[in-house]
Amino acid sequence: MTATYGTIGKRTLAAFVAASLLALASACGGSGGSNDAGPSEGSASSVQPSASADGSTGESGGTVEITVWDQPTPEDPTKSLKEQLFADFDKANPNIKVTHEAMPQGTNDREVFVTAMAGGNGPDAYHMAHFPIIGDWVGQGLALDLTPYWEGYADSGQFIDSSMAAARIDGKVYGVPNDMYVTGLFWNKKLFKAAGLDPNKPPSNWDELVSMGKQLTDSAKKQYGITLLGMEWADWWFEYYVWQAGGDLTELQTDGTVKLTFTSEPAVTALQFYKDLKWKHKIVQNNVLQSYQDNMNDIYQGRAAMSNGASGSFGDFAANGLDLNDIGFAPYPVGTSGKGPGQIGGAYWILNPKSSKAKQDAAWKYVTYMVSKETKDRMLQFQSDNGIFPNLLSVRKDVDPSQFTQNVPQDLVEGVNKAASDTHLEYYLKERLTPYVVKAVQKALTDQNADPATLLQAAQDAAQKEVVDAYNASAKK
Amino acid sequence: MRTVTVTRPRANPRRAPALRARSRGVLLSALFLAPAVVSFVLFKYYPLLQAVYMSFFDYKVIHPPGRFVGLDNYGYLFRSTEFWNALGNTFAFFLIYFVLTFWVPIVQAILLNEVKFGNKTIRVLYLVPTAVPAVAGFLLWKWLYNPDYGLLNYLLEFVNLGPYGWLNDPAMAKWAIVLPAFFGTGMSVLIYYSAIQGVPAENVEAAKIDGAGPWRRMRSIILPSMKFVIGIQFIAFISGVFLTFDPMYIMTGGGPANSTRTLSMLVFDSSFKEFRFGVAGAISFVMFAIIALITYLQIRLSRTE
Repeated sequence: MTATYGTIGKRTLAAFVAASLLALASACGGSGGSNDAGPSEGSASSVQPSASADGSTGESGGTVEITVWDQPTPEDPTKSLKEQLFADFDKANPNIKVTHEAMPQGTNDREVFVTAMAGGNGPDAYHMAHFPIIGDWVGQGLALDLTPYWEGYADSGQFIDSSMAAARIDGKVYGVPNDMYVTGLFWNKKLFKAAGLDPNKPPSNWDELVSMGKQLTDSAKKQYGITLLGMEWADWWFEYYVWQAGGDLTELQTDGTVKLTFTSEPAVTALQFYKDLKWKHKIVQNNVLQSYQDNMNDIYQGRAAMSNGASGSFGDFAANGLDLNDIGFAPYPVGTSGKGPGQIGGAYWILNPKSSKAKQDAAWKYVTYMVSKETKDRMLQFQSDNGIFPNLLSVRKDVDPSQFTQNVPQDLVEGVNKAASDTHLEYYLKERLTPYVVKAVQKALTDQNADPATLLQAAQDAAQKEVVDAYNASAKK
Repeated sequence: MRTVTVTRPRANPRRAPALRARSRGVLLSALFLAPAVVSFVLFKYYPLLQAVYMSFFDYKVIHPPGRFVGLDNYGYLFRSTEFWNALGNTFAFFLIYFVLTFWVPIVQAILLNEVKFGNKTIRVLYLVPTAVPAVAGFLLWKWLYNPDYGLLNYLLEFVNLGPYGWLNDPAMAKWAIVLPAFFGTGMSVLIYYSAIQGVPAENVEAAKIDGAGPWRRMRSIILPSMKFVIGIQFIAFISGVFLTFDPMYIMTGGGPANSTRTLSMLVFDSSFKEFRFGVAGAISFVMFAIIALITYLQIRLSRTE
């Protein structure tokens, strides 16, 4: 019996090995799988746009079909306008057929996009290439070099400089700004009033942040002063405190290499202050590792008196029951450096490097339509007419959202403009270094006896050895 | 010259239909097996081999395979504090899951076997929670653990305990993540229950007549009869624990301070956050090797016994 089983086992094993080898062969052979009509390869420094000034796609007579993941959801309040915009584009460009699709379901938009691109099913144009991620996507070949298009683009000078900062890589342009936001301090005026504070005077420095935070914290009501973000994105909000202390977490060198500054005096000061907010001053939520959405819920439900806010998120506040007249927005309290810059964030349109040349030309045409002054103005007008809170920050110099804000509390508009006057991009190489910084921040927030300098030193040593050394070596090549 | 005439043996007319029937049976079996084998090769072996292949490259998803780096990704792994931390966490989770959960359905099945009244109803009740999506269950537990508004701290307050940080405390987070699995053993209970049902009733009766008490009957008859099923379940348990991802991802995101970051999370982060698909492939292969080794040892141990 045993012998029989042994024989069968060997045969089965042999069959599986053979099948596995076949699979491996197909894996090796099929690894170049891609899109349909023959790609215009890669980083495409050689790509020359065939889109002429009048917008013809370069195809003689035929219709070019492109796919874009921008179908509005049924609950999108701007759905009717978007559909009108799509129809107008179709009418003006009968030789381009745009298929608007909803983004496939998945854990998050970045993962879904990368997976789709890897499988050769990515869209021809995509509008959610976030500022901090576009660099990595370019490195992976997920975004077409748009420089040839950009150089012939009449509106290229209309985009504000800060919106283009992350899209310019090694002298080339990879993204067209779609939208952007600036972050600042959000506060709940009602809670300020109830605590005996002036509802129109937010904290202007760290000392005031602590003293006001103490007045606003009431454990009996489960109410606290200011939210911290301690989950897996803990480095995101923490970096603001480093900026306020006068530093940053990395420095990009002129030769393209990166220098870690985790152990710099501002970073250590910031982590000590972050830790003190939790352990010494006790003005933050008890659940310091709660998710971003849980933080938002605390704001909506009046449990958090102050938080990080963004110029693009007022609509969410209103949609979740907050009266915009009870909301304040201002630049961050300044730290030891006397500065409190806001973070510039947003997203770019990018084109699929694997699409055919004709599709890329058509997609470029579509993108320039979607970011045109006319389209942006129509969106702002629609929002103003329908009581929808607009994004107060425009990527275009010739689009002024303040002209469409008659129904918006003017102090919010002023707050956004002030926050936008001093801005900062997220620290360089963030996507790679996040695990190291987050570990230090979480340890400081969960261990009362942890020493910030020691934590940051350990994080820097590990990150240098495991990420930066290899990155710098490849940057020098 | 001598001529040898070889006469081909004539087929036994009685055996021919039997052979045909046997061939048909083999063909039919192969046809029935084919979908499973093909899908297994496609969805299990192909990804595994693809991961191994990727691990030798600085893999680019759009222009695969990228630069050949040999064993560099493996070298990087073994130098990486993140990898060793995740490996340690994975083994720690394995032990905690084993201590807290593996034996529970066995005990429940043995007890269920003794329950005569309402047995079917209880079996259905065991099964019902498996219909709840796992993600919903983890989210529910995350709320229960909330230090401010969670039910657990609220209840513990009545007996002057807490409040505890639960998921905020690096020392407690792993246990807090595993605890829900202690209560969610429905399907395993039924598998073990079926195994117990397969124990010949006369053996149990004979043992009773010989004076064996419940404990002795369980130790000498029930458990040895379940050994095979327990072994199979243990193998599934090993790979299940090593590949588990959802509870950590949903409840802690790998925190606090990377204390719940496992190898499967590292695969996800390396690929979709850091775009190091080659490294992710190397981690996947290391995970496969560990699971295969433990499974092999377990099977060898079972055979020896």
